[in-house]
Amino acid sequence: MDAISINQITKTFSNQKAVDNLSLAIPSESIYGFIGPNGSGKTTTLRMILSIIYPDSGSIELFGQPTSGSLRDDIGYLPEERGLYNKMKVGELIRFFGKLKNTDDLDKKIDYWLERFDLLDWKNKKIDALSKGMSQKVQFIASIISSPKIVILDEPFSGLDPVNAETMRSAVIDLQKQGTTIVFSTHDMGTAEKMCDRIFMIYQGKKVLDGTLAEIQERYGSDTLKVRMTSGEVSMQTLPGIEKITDYGREQDLRLSPGTDTQEILNKLISIGRVERFEIVKPSLHDIFVRIANPEKE
Amino acid sequence: MKSRSIRNLLLIAQREYLATVKSKAFIISLVLAPLFMGGSIIAMVLFQDKVDTRDKKIAIIDSTGQIAPAIIEKADHRNANNITDKEGKQNKPAYLFHIVEAATEELEETRLELSDDVRNRKLFGFVEIADSILSTDPKVSKETPVRFYSKNPSLDDLRGWIRGPINDAIRGIHLSELGIDKNEVGYLFEWHRVDGMKLVEADESGKAKDAEKANELAAFGIPVAMLFIMFIMVMMGAMPLLNSVMEEKNQHIAETILCSVTPFQFMLGKVLGGVAVSLTGSAFYITMSVLLFGNMGFMGYIPFELIPWFLVYLIGAIMLMGSMMAAIGSACADAKEAQNYTFPAMLPIMVPMFVLSVIIKEPMSGFATTLSLIPPFTPMLMMLRQSMPGGVPMWQPMVGLAGLFIFTVITVWVGSRIFRVGILMKGKTPSFSTMMKWAIKG
Repeated sequence: MDAISINQITKTFSNQKAVDNLSLAIPSESIYGFIGPNGSGKTTTLRMILSIIYPDSGSIELFGQPTSGSLRDDIGYLPEERGLYNKMKVGELIRFFGKLKNTDDLDKKIDYWLERFDLLDWKNKKIDALSKGMSQKVQFIASIISSPKIVILDEPFSGLDPVNAETMRSAVIDLQKQGTTIVFSTHDMGTAEKMCDRIFMIYQGKKVLDGTLAEIQERYGSDTLKVRMTSGEVSMQTLPGIEKITDYGREQDLRLSPGTDTQEILNKLISIGRVERFEIVKPSLHDIFVRIANPEKE
Repeated sequence: MKSRSIRNLLLIAQREYLATVKSKAFIISLVLAPLFMGGSIIAMVLFQDKVDTRDKKIAIIDSTGQIAPAIIEKADHRNANNITDKEGKQNKPAYLFHIVEAATEELEETRLELSDDVRNRKLFGFVEIADSILSTDPKVSKETPVRFYSKNPSLDDLRGWIRGPINDAIRGIHLSELGIDKNEVGYLFEWHRVDGMKLVEADESGKAKDAEKANELAAFGIPVAMLFIMFIMVMMGAMPLLNSVMEEKNQHIAETILCSVTPFQFMLGKVLGGVAVSLTGSAFYITMSVLLFGNMGFMGYIPFELIPWFLVYLIGAIMLMGSMMAAIGSACADAKEAQNYTFPAMLPIMVPMFVLSVIIKEPMSGFATTLSLIPPFTPMLMMLRQSMPGGVPMWQPMVGLAGLFIFTVITVWVGSRIFRVGILMKGKTPSFSTMMKWAIKG
């Protein structure tokens, strides 16, 4: 059964369609990545799933049932713009959010998660005494303390140092293993590629991508060359059949026009200098994102 | 409402309540607010003796030639007997009058010279008495026959004091003209006070009881105190919701909460938290009043029968004001912009304070009755009128309460519709008409 079924929803703000006739099925126990440029309709869609706002038309079902008050207890939410009551103590605050979701066995769960995130010593400290990273971990705990069936995470790893990001990533994976459906919105394409079972991209309110990473990449074919030359930066503008060059300094990604002879390009490169890397690959998610979201600069 | 909704409503209310009452600001306000409100009265009592006791030299231009000596005599008597406390310490200034002769044609020049003396601090002031003051001819104009000139004549005690000696002197002169010795009819110069009495009631046997003197504490002190307490409670229970909602909006706390509760539950929970805060404050003041008045033997002055009315009006006022404050807080981007809306939203508690003195003088006037039946003003003004001696006909609080209930329900509804849009809105603060559009269209 799908955890979330979105059926032809549309939401308009001041004559501007934020979400336009969107349909999506998010399978249970999957990690589903939401990607899209700022202002594309991601947060509006997430808010509609959470019943914070309602679609003008269409419907949303959770586990086959229309969204209702009691189903809200089954969803945990970590918003992108985070904020907590500064004057509350860590333990009190998590308890408050846990109670709002009708969580049982709250004391045990609070201690478990605080210990897992190395925050147990901070349980009786006020939020305003915490660092930004600590606050973020506390908010993450508050969003999952009720052991919800669905967790929606909006940019969960942004602003975290690598150690904390790894701790949180591992917690997310564990939740999925325990049967939780994870929906997370991110601008970090690398994380989306590594973690998500399926990826959905929304652009100007419309669905433009939906599938596994392999399915999405398959649509674009192996049209990218990864090139690294010993002599470093080399002018590649004169190479035949190149649509776009993305220069990373030590390495370049070359997007090929359809029908381009890669052998010819390799010969040209050898004539320029020593080739360290020459690999034909499928486009990365980052590349696909940029192609969709920024077509005029392509 | 389903049990889940009630549970979350109470959780929001409980958090709001605890966040407020556990703060030092709440405890400090609880103690200091009455002091600030009654500060001017307390200051007047405490500092009533802190007056300038330096001698006040006053010149008199007396065109009658008969009144000034009487003033000087009275002033000398006052200086000898009435300017010291029981310990003999001077607590009032001595009035030192002297006569300045001035012919009619020199009057203007003399006034200017004396005014310069006042400006140069040689004199405190001067009094001018026209000879028309002694005329018995009704055709003679008696417009301002006595004039007192000083730097601040409007607020001076001396101006009030001098009225007595001048009027006594005029009566004495007229009596003398009629051949009556003033000292033989001293009773004509006595002033009698008028005591206010309560209406007479019958005892158990049907006989009239002794009439009781009306007490100023009961007549004015208790109603004003109840009005002030309600004002303080509204300020403590409803006003903080403005900042609290703005904090939740601007620090992005609201979005997390709104995934568990509806905007209506969120706002109503916060308002109920405000109600609980004000009821806690009220319980504190009632308890303190009982202890204080009990110790002083004034327990009879506490209007216990009005406490239920007070609480009902208070709950209505907090729901009304709290919803408005929450709606404004949800719509405004920052505190500065919120100020534009805060003042009009505070009118329900400000207007009763403005008209307090008028209503106290005439609590049963058409103006007082009408204003107290206008729902936003009902909690404070009806409470004030009910707590005054004589009270009001029972239909008035009942009608007032019904109006308040209907108006509060409408305000909570409108407030919640603004709140639901505003709390997730970003950018500049909307105009009033935009907020009304949110309220109507959602």
